[in-house]
Formats: sequence, C-alpha cells, structure tokens
Amino acid sequence: MSNISYPKEDIRDLIDGKLPWGRLKYIMSHPKDDDRFDKYIEILQERVPWSERILLPLGEHLYVVQKGQERVVKCDCGHEYGDYRQNWKLGALIYARDDSDKLEEIYPGLHCPDPNLCEVREYYCPGCGSLLKVESVPVGYPVIFDFLPDLDAFYRDWLGRPLPDEKEHKDLTYEVTKKWGQET
Amino acid sequence: MESKGIGEGGKTLKQMNEESERLLQETGCYAGITKPYLLRDDPVKSELFHSRIMALLISGRETTKMISGSPFVREVAELCLGLYTAEGDNVAQSTGIQIHIRLMGDHIKWMIDKNYEEDVGIEDGDLFITNDPAISNMHPTDVYDVMPIFWEGELVGWVCTVIMEMDIGAVSPSCMPSANVERATDGLRFSCEKIGSKDRLRRDFEYRIENNLDFPDMFLLDRRGAIAANIRVREEIKKLIGEFGLDYYKKATRELIEEERRNQIARIRQRMVPGRYRDVAPLEFYMADKPVSWLAANRDTLRLIPIQMDILPSGKVVLDFEGTGEWGWHSFNVPPRAVWGALSVCLVQTLSYDGRGNLGSVLPFQIKSPPGSLLNPPEPRLLAFSNSWASVLDTFGAWTGMLGTAFYLRGFREETFNYRSGAGWQFYGLDQFGRKRAMIVGGTGAMGPGATGVCDGVDAGGWLATPEVDTGNEEVWELFAPLLNLSRRFDLYAVGYGRFRSGLTLSRMDIIHGTQQLFATGAIGCGTSGIIPNMGMFGGYPGGRQITMLVRYNDLRGLLDRREPLLHEIGNPAEFKSRVPGVVTRFTHMPPPIEAHEGDMFITAAPGTGGLGDPIERDPGLVKSDLDNGLATEEMAKNIYCVAATFDGKSKAWKIDYAATANLRQAKRKERLARGRPMRQWWGKARERLMEKNFDGKLVEMYQNSMKMSQPFTREFREFWDLPEEFSFSEGGKA
Repeated sequence: MSNISYPKEDIRDLIDGKLPWGRLKYIMSHPKDDDRFDKYIEILQERVPWSERILLPLGEHLYVVQKGQERVVKCDCGHEYGDYRQNWKLGALIYARDDSDKLEEIYPGLHCPDPNLCEVREYYCPGCGSLLKVESVPVGYPVIFDFLPDLDAFYRDWLGRPLPDEKEHKDLTYEVTKKWGQET
Repeated sequence: MESKGIGEGGKTLKQMNEESERLLQETGCYAGITKPYLLRDDPVKSELFHSRIMALLISGRETTKMISGSPFVREVAELCLGLYTAEGDNVAQSTGIQIHIRLMGDHIKWMIDKNYEEDVGIEDGDLFITNDPAISNMHPTDVYDVMPIFWEGELVGWVCTVIMEMDIGAVSPSCMPSANVERATDGLRFSCEKIGSKDRLRRDFEYRIENNLDFPDMFLLDRRGAIAANIRVREEIKKLIGEFGLDYYKKATRELIEEERRNQIARIRQRMVPGRYRDVAPLEFYMADKPVSWLAANRDTLRLIPIQMDILPSGKVVLDFEGTGEWGWHSFNVPPRAVWGALSVCLVQTLSYDGRGNLGSVLPFQIKSPPGSLLNPPEPRLLAFSNSWASVLDTFGAWTGMLGTAFYLRGFREETFNYRSGAGWQFYGLDQFGRKRAMIVGGTGAMGPGATGVCDGVDAGGWLATPEVDTGNEEVWELFAPLLNLSRRFDLYAVGYGRFRSGLTLSRMDIIHGTQQLFATGAIGCGTSGIIPNMGMFGGYPGGRQITMLVRYNDLRGLLDRREPLLHEIGNPAEFKSRVPGVVTRFTHMPPPIEAHEGDMFITAAPGTGGLGDPIERDPGLVKSDLDNGLATEEMAKNIYCVAATFDGKSKAWKIDYAATANLRQAKRKERLARGRPMRQWWGKARERLMEKNFDGKLVEMYQNSMKMSQPFTREFREFWDLPEEFSFSEGGKA
C-alpha cells in the first residue's frame, strides 16, 4: 500500500517509547510502512532469551510461538501457557480485587468502584510476576478471552506466507473449564 | 402519464437509490464501481477536486460559527457538514462532530423511501429539518438541516449540517434530560419536515419554535447559521460542477466513496490482525431516584453489552453485540442506527483520519445489534433517547481499545489508545438574568484518553464523541449560566496507571451565583459508576470511578469576607471530605434533579481512561517528570510504580534512587507471586459463589436478562463456569 519504510533503529526506539517526538509525529502523520510487522517481530525475537519463532505478540510480555508442530503462548521469561486457542489467562496467577481494602490500594476514596458490583482482576505471570492484564468486570463475569488470532488466515492471506500445520480457528478455552468442572 | 423524476436522466431518486443498493449487493463495490478509473487516471485533478470539496465544507462550518450564538457552536464547535450523493450517500465531511456521516444520509434515504419527491416535493431552495432518532440520530438534541443541490433541474446531491442544540424543548433540563422515559419528554422531534423554500425559513416554523422552546433565539440562530452554511456549500458545489463538468462530478463523487471503501479494507489488512476480539461494557441505569411520568421506570437496572469484533480474512469486520441486555423505560436506549454514528466517529480517529472519511469508511463493517436489546430497541418511535450517548461512549470506547490492541500486535504501537466517558452537570431554572431556561456546563470533553503504545495518553486530550475537543472559554460559558468557575485542574488520582499512563482529565468546580431558582442534574456520560470500564491494556489499570459532588460550605460568606481560600482541587480523594468546611454530598451514580442554592459548589472529576503495560516497568524518568510537574504523588511513585523518589529542596526537583527502585520492583514481583492464586483454584471458588447466586440482586437480574436475550450468551456463560444445563439466575439473588 505504501513505499514507506523506516530504519530498524526507529522501530526499536518506537517500541521502547524513546523515539523523539518530532520523529514520532512524522511517522504518525505519514502513510504506514508495509514492512513494520517483519521488523517488529525481528526486534522482539532478538530480545527474548529463547529460540522458538515468534508468530505474533499478544501483549507486552506474551507471544504466540511455534513450538514443534504446536503453537503455544509463551512469556518472555520462558513460562508457557499452552495452546494459543485457549485463553492464556487460565494459566496465569490471579489476584482479584474484590473488596474495598484491595480496591482502595489502587483507587482511593472517591475513586473506588463498588465492590458489590465490580471486580478488578490482575493476571500475573507465574514465571516472573509481571502484571500481564488488568480486567475490570461485573462480579461473576467470565474471564474475557481478549483476542483469539486467526493465525493461519493472517499468514496465508495477509502476509502471503502460510504457516505449517494449519490449525482450526476455534476457541478451546471451554475444554479446559470443562475438565476443571469434571475434576471438582 | 408517469411523472418525470428529479434524478439523473429523469429517474426518480427512489429508482436511483434502489439501483445503487442493488449494485452494491451484486458486486460488493459501491454503486457497482468494480473498476474505478477516473480519480486514478488524473490524480492531480482528483486531488484538486477533493480538496475543493473539503475546503468548501470546512468554510461552511466556519460560516455557521460566525452566525450562531450558541456556545456549543461558537466555543466547542459541536457541528459538522456533510456532502451527499443524490441517493444520500456521504461523499465528504467537514471537521467537527463526525458522528453523523451515515446518520444524516439515513434521513435523506428515508425521504427518498417515503416518496418525498412526489408527496412532499423536493425543489431547489427547499429547507428540511430533522432530528428523529426513530429514523436515525444519536440523540434528539443533534439537529440536522438538509438542503438539496440542483444543477439545471436535476437533483445532483445534498448538503447537511448537524448542530447540537442547548434546548430542544424537552422536559428539564431540556438538552439531555435523565428523568425522561417517553418520547414526549424528549422534546421536539422533526421527521424530515420542510420548513422553508427559496432559501427562506417559513414564518410559521419560527412561530412554532418561539412558542415551544425556552431559548428559541438560540435555536433559530443555529438554523440561520446552518442554512447559510448549506447555501454556501450548494453554491460552491455549483461552481465546482461548472469547472469540472457534471459528468465528472457525479462519477468522481461516487468513486471517492468506492476508493475509500477499498482503502479502508487495505488499512485493516495492513495494520491489524484477523481474529476474534472481545470485551464487555457493563452499564448502570439508576432511575429509582428520578421523577418520572411512567412509574414502571422507577427502578435501577444494570445491563451488559458484550462486544465481539471479528476481523475476517477478507478484511471485513463484524461487530457483534450478542448478549446485550434488553431495552428499558429510560433515556439510555440507543437508536438503532446510532451505533453506526459511534462507529463513524471512532473510525475518523483511528483508521480514516486522512480527511477522506465518508460512507466508504463504514462499508467494510457489519453491525449485529440484537433486536429488542438496548442497542436495537423495538418501536423506537415510542422511546426517549436523550442519553443514548451514555450507553454508546463506554461501548465504543472499549472498541477503540480493541482496535488499539490490533494495532499494537501488528507493530503500530503509536496508534494504540482508547477512550471512556465522563460526568457532567446540567442545570435548569432561572439564569442570572431571571429567564427560565436550560443550561449545561461545557468543558466535559477535556478527558484523559488511554495510554498509547509509545507514550502516555495526552492530558485533557479528548474523548470519543468528537475528534476536535475544545472546552471553550470559561468566561463565555459563565454568560450562559449563573455559575462562577473556580477551577479546572488535573485530578492526579483519576489516572489509569501503567508503563505508559492514561492522560489526566480536567476536573472542574463551579459555584452557583446570581439565580433566584436553580436545579441541577447529571449530564452525559454517567452510564457507568460502580463498575469501572475495562480500559486497562496489557497490564495497565483502568482509571477509577468518576466523581460528581455537591459541596455546601458552612460559612461561604465568612470565608469570602476573610479572604480565606476556597477549595480548588480534589486532592487525595480519600481525604477530600475531611478537608471541606461544609457538607459534601457525593453522588454514587448519575445525580437526580436536586435544588441548587447560591454558593453551592458543583464538582465533576472524570477519570483517565486506562494505562498500558505493567506500572512497575514505567521508566523512572517519566515518574520523576510527573512528580516534578505535580502530576503524581510520592505515594503513587512508591506504591504503584515502585519508584523510590525524594524531593530535593535545593534543586526543587525530585531525585530517583535507582538502586532502591530496583529493590522495590523486585519485592513487588515477589509479592505478586505470593498473593496470586492459580486460576483453577480461583475459578472453583468463583463458580461456587455463582451457583449460590451470592451476588447483589442487580447483578443477578443483569445476568438473567442477558440470558433471556441470548442463547449463545447463555451457552458460553454456562460453558465457562461449567454450569449445569438447568442453571439460571431466575430465582433471584442476595439483595
């Protein structure tokens, strides 16, 4: 769509939030660069201490990686969360701010939500203790599966380089909760 | 004998519209343009053509601002102009509240469908007015002025201007009343009425306005401003046709739409990742304390709006609101077409921001709003819609975050952000000149948007409803209400923490002065209160609860006489009440109408949207910068960001102890690992509570309602919690 391309150093600084404002503004004001994703993945891959190929980042620390014939969610610390089609949160540690004391640590006094109605869930990586996601929902609401990527369509149809071992684009989360229920 | 139509080649507008829609269905391309060529063949000419259209729309908007007397128009520019094809399809829009791209076109299509061409008549110089949400609108206070454009006897297009009115003749406070639950209390509704001809307003229309509004001059001046803008655009378009030729004009305007449709799909494929994105917007409607005419409306209800966005391999996008709760007798229902308005205004701030946003921007999208739900109520003709924005703001605010997620994952972190709603006050009664009328406090748009993926959110940087936020001059707002503005300050505690934090919002304090009788009530954006919207991204926290308060000083006169300072900021929200020498009334939800007195201080503090990333990974340099600028406290630095900082009195700046900071951060990780529970353990406990229905009764009713509305929602809810088939919430819960 465009012939624009930026040096890898710019993309690195952009990721780190260190790109000078003038340059950032320039990038924001121009058509987007088609090769961004490849440079982005290259930089992210250089930074992780493991060798599995990153297929897609899922946030600040999580990635979908190719592990043999499987695609799993992995933290940059090395902790693995299982198949990318299961909500990775089921493999995290959770700290639910579900009473006033816990909520007021973040939201003091007038800004505190109603603990009878609202629960603020924090998901930590069991490997490194990073805070991966904060979820504010009504009490009792199912854990949100923020994003289930259609990886095969992405690589095949959008990037033009299909991935090996195509997987069905399907939410597998309920298989986990069903198993938990049977074991309860 | 069959009469000759006013459209192209003697066709009726209805014939033209049906043909255009058929071609879109058959080819997937707007107006069946499978091979656009005109704009591509001579790009210089096409650029000249498009920029001329943009310039005349924007100059039309400026014309309105010169004529109107309303601070909504003059100060915060709550208006926008659009150019449409003969069929009512948007070609281009001015800057401003770009919500109405498709919505104004819906009214043109409604007129076409109702055969206005024969039954009402559409002639050069005709003036139409419309605001009916049952046809299409965000809320009735947005009024559209519509004018046809003719060229040598043929209708070749339309120009429309939207203006938000301060007074629409509704029940008090008349702009966006919260206590209205029926159509009649929503104020004047115009369903594509012809109100003038030969470019002149009919005098009987003016009489109607003069006799039916508290503030008719403002309304009529807005009409004159809008009509002047429309005339200006119409005449400039005629010049354009004269220069470029009619054939080029008609083809090029249609190609602009088709090219934008194609570009939108290309942008989606370039900047996003296909797949399924999910979020939820829980909304709270507190009506038990509102004086209502329809007694059944006197109840508090919570409603879910689950949001699913499927980005398909084709690049098309489906927005599915399956599981959304039922409509109700309140003014927070959303007119069925309004979701397209919300989509439009989000798109011009996220994907279609190059000035070419038009109908083509939304054509790749499909919206599924369940019939009978809050987002698609039955018989909209019967309902009040004055506060539909409150429902839409946090829903589509969350959707901007879903788009932001897609941008971030694809590497375009600079485009990531999100929005949330805020609170405000409306007043009614006697102004400082003794006239009865509606008043609203401006400036609520100065919100703190979410963090981006590369820097903090912009302080007072904007909100979803308009890409061109301007709080206006306080001195002007003070002319329109018996208020003295005390302060507009950043509320530090309303931030959404994160590696990058949200922007901060301007809280405001106003004192009532110079009125004999005044009442106050909550304003737009009060759709959430007890449940904070889910706006944190990738480890960032959402901003906290919004604040609306009334302060009555014990001895205001004494304080003023002694020249002692009044409060100008909220400060630590845990200590606010103890700092006030008076009575503080804090409203836990959208305030009901209350009587205001001389010296009462009204406060709003809307929270920042959400942070991005783990707060303990925030660059200590950014924490220092916030401390130095008074935008964070030492307590926040230590407890949230885990940054050890001390104030150096000599240099009058904060110093960071990097070694101590590293220790604090390491300790925080250990603390998290110690207190975090494995999900399976937590899930089991949460499931037990669910089975016992050990919840607030409002939540029980909310879940019950979404289950009643949707089998897929019910199935997934049961599957996630592994609940038995027979499980339901129907037996009620703990009140």
